[in-house]
Amino acid sequence: MELSDWQLVEKCQAGDGTAFEELVSRYHQKVFMVILGLMRNREDALEVAQETFFRAFRKIKSFQGGSSFYTWIYRIAVNNAIDAQRKQKRNPLDFHETMDELFAARNEVAKDPFADVHDRQLRENMARAINELTPEHKAVIVLRTIEGMSYRDIGEILGCSEGTVMSRLHYARKKLQDKLKAFL
Amino acid sequence: MTHCESLQESIGRWLDGELPPAESEAMRGHVASCAECSATRQRLEKIQLTLGTMLTAEAARLEFAPFWREVQHRIAAKRPWHVELIEAVQSLFSVSRLAWAVPAAIMLVLGFLSLTKWPGGVETNNYASVESIDAHGRNVALLREDETKTTIIWLYQDPEGEDENAEETTKPGPAF
Repeated sequence: MELSDWQLVEKCQAGDGTAFEELVSRYHQKVFMVILGLMRNREDALEVAQETFFRAFRKIKSFQGGSSFYTWIYRIAVNNAIDAQRKQKRNPLDFHETMDELFAARNEVAKDPFADVHDRQLRENMARAINELTPEHKAVIVLRTIEGMSYRDIGEILGCSEGTVMSRLHYARKKLQDKLKAFL
Repeated sequence: MTHCESLQESIGRWLDGELPPAESEAMRGHVASCAECSATRQRLEKIQLTLGTMLTAEAARLEFAPFWREVQHRIAAKRPWHVELIEAVQSLFSVSRLAWAVPAAIMLVLGFLSLTKWPGGVETNNYASVESIDAHGRNVALLREDETKTTIIWLYQDPEGEDENAEETTKPGPAF
């Protein structure tokens, strides 16, 4: 039977290293997705994701289960990503370049060449539009997109109220609609 | 502002499943019959879908084994003392902690001024206080300086949840 997150945390706290490996295995892709949505390129996001799990390992003994493990790990991830992003001012092109390479490599090309060009433009402009949002607005839109998190969980991760989450989401979506109106 | 413009925020909440059932049902009916709101719905769904697809595709390329090796390497490596020190100092000066520092500094300055101005202990009406006003970390700092008749009211929220080191105040035991 698969152990719950909390059972794995308890095993980690008792010194079981394989339990932490299992937690990393469960969440590394999702944590990476959140960080990639907040940061400007894949390599930086990978670095911050690894640092997130390192920090989680160091703090796991103080984790008491007052919130779910995933909100706790996402909170560390978002804080790390926002800190790292504020320190770095790199060229935002890497993200959408890698996206295009990815779709090309997988031959995910639409049968309709016009639709293909349109989707490609949408992706490129989406990456650019996301990068132009503030870290706080990026965070709400990314957390909502991944797993469809509730406003309550997002508020818990970001340390703000549900009302703040709601207004940030509204603003972020409005901005994205404005910037992408030619492609939506 | 038209009726539909005023609904823009609610359409997002509706798609997110955050509207109460009765409002949600009313919104469903409205969107079904309103071209403008229906178009907004489609745009929001397309944004969500495109972003989700982009992030999922990137995450799918991430292999676990090398990722875990690097995490293990960090865990095993001993960090230089100055890195540990910088991290500890940075955590002391997080935004959430500085939220308390500002009114505290104002109170100290006012307290100091009142002491230096009235060394003989002349009675004044200077006043400084910080009170919690609800259970969600919202606080009010009230500062009043008698001579200049200056009153400062500082409303702020202590964003405790942003601090990953913060004590968890919710009920003990697993929440998952």
